[in-house]
Amino acid sequence: MREQLTADAGVIAGQPPRRGKAILVIAAVAAVGAVFPFLLAGEPFLLMLASYALTAAIVALSLDLLTGNTGLLSFGHAAWYGFGAYAAGLLSKTVTSDIVLLVLMTMLATAVIATLIGAVLVRQIGKTFAILTLAFSQIIFAIVFVFSGLTGGEDGLQGIPVPTFFGLQVFKPEVWFWIFYGVLVISLAFALHVRRSPLGKAWLAIRDNAERASFIGMNVNRLKLIAYSSSATLAAVAGALFVLFNGAASPDLLSWFESGKILMYVVLGGVGTLVGPILGAIAFTVAEHYVSSFTDAWLIYFGGLFVLMVIVAPGGIFGALSGIWTRGAASREAAQ
Amino acid sequence: MILSVSQLTKNFGGLRAVNKVDLAIAPATIHSIIGPNGAGKTTLFNLITGSIKPVDGSVRFRDRDITGWSPQRLAKLGVARTFQRTSIYARLDVLENVALAIRSREGMTTSVWQPASAERRVRDEATDILAKVGLRGREAVLAGNLAHGYQRSLDIAIGLALNPALILMDEPLAGMSRGDRETVASLITMLRDTLGLTVVVVEHDVGMVMRLSDRITVMQHGTVIADAPPAEIRGNEAVRNAYLHGNFAQ
Repeated sequence: MREQLTADAGVIAGQPPRRGKAILVIAAVAAVGAVFPFLLAGEPFLLMLASYALTAAIVALSLDLLTGNTGLLSFGHAAWYGFGAYAAGLLSKTVTSDIVLLVLMTMLATAVIATLIGAVLVRQIGKTFAILTLAFSQIIFAIVFVFSGLTGGEDGLQGIPVPTFFGLQVFKPEVWFWIFYGVLVISLAFALHVRRSPLGKAWLAIRDNAERASFIGMNVNRLKLIAYSSSATLAAVAGALFVLFNGAASPDLLSWFESGKILMYVVLGGVGTLVGPILGAIAFTVAEHYVSSFTDAWLIYFGGLFVLMVIVAPGGIFGALSGIWTRGAASREAAQ
Repeated sequence: MILSVSQLTKNFGGLRAVNKVDLAIAPATIHSIIGPNGAGKTTLFNLITGSIKPVDGSVRFRDRDITGWSPQRLAKLGVARTFQRTSIYARLDVLENVALAIRSREGMTTSVWQPASAERRVRDEATDILAKVGLRGREAVLAGNLAHGYQRSLDIAIGLALNPALILMDEPLAGMSRGDRETVASLITMLRDTLGLTVVVVEHDVGMVMRLSDRITVMQHGTVIADAPPAEIRGNEAVRNAYLHGNFAQ
């Protein structure tokens, strides 16, 4: 009930106290992002790890746009992440080095192709949809090897030039951190906004009861397609930024293993919570780095941890945290 | 006639679930379709509301041929339906359930930016509709937490949000307590008398149907065996035989 009431209060936009609070949140988020690279000033590797974690966070958020909003499960989301990486990498070698143009062109290409592919996929539901996404990602994976002259095949796409921003080269690690951070924060803000918009509510409606949605005149497939395309496009943005940052793209980016990892970020963080998958991705990436430096068998530990998480905290990290928060609030109230 | 069905036929395998059915429904009436289990009522209902497509025959709404139209297109045309197993959004509040349908009707479903004034209009209209079905004061309740009878009323309210001329109800009284049945029955009468809607009801509860309906169609083995006002149906020999010693005497 409490959750419902606050969600309702949010619908009536533009109330002065909320606006003040929003400004405060924006200021705090901006300040944290601005200061963070300086905290890691002596640790260039950690700053790079942070950027990797943020990339993963953007991809995780992108999958939650699809899975969290419409209930469609994708086993092949890395296809779009990798597609964005290869598209931006190839464009940067041939067309322009301007980072803004590269990202925009990648987004456009992805939106067009994802809409065409999605138009076929969204007609399916449940397991069929999930299996088709996996099959589709394997096709994209294979294409990299078919056109290995262009893509570098197994060696990956190498020699990607340093991108520029209005003629200035983008190479400082802290600048990259700010780019990833900025893209993540803006995407999250937009995703949260859409959640409250008519579109976001219609998505939740088709997730909960698609039959009824079509009987009140909603175009269920079109709504799913919008979710699929936006999700793919955001994943491609993450891929594009990653390849420009990294200077090379490997076919591993497109593999089913990568898709599985993205899905794990989302489930670990809390499906449908938008913020949760971001936390899941960051926690996973950082933990992966440290655990894999101790042991090669890190996947075994992660698999076990994953199973444990799903059983103990089915709402993911976000669910567990908000549970603690709610209990804390209740006991504070009781204490007064 | 607001709705006319002619020679409508549907097979399931070798079974003629609906066999050359004709049906004429006059505006602003309550028209019920009854019949023993397996008579083809639900199939007929699903044929009209677009869930399944007929192999033969046609359905006309006013002057339009709507045979085989999808539920989505029918909703836009002003043909609403309710469900036997109440179909609401349990995880959303009562007001939002209706607001969703209003936004869908207004073509606002895919908009991301919406002025506060538009949202206020939607919410005001939803509040009005909820008041009509007796859910005033329950706008903020989670739909899943509503009592069973109120959920049925909400299901009807969602249908009303489409501004329909015709509303088709699949067993609206099924699985309800006696008190809830009275509530829903008076709601159905209100739809006709106050809102001027045409209501088509598929129902098992023959007693209630006799009281409510302006006209009744009786089906058996996929065909229409009687179509008349309740008083005549009561004395119809074929109908008595169809129900044998069933619940018809109630």
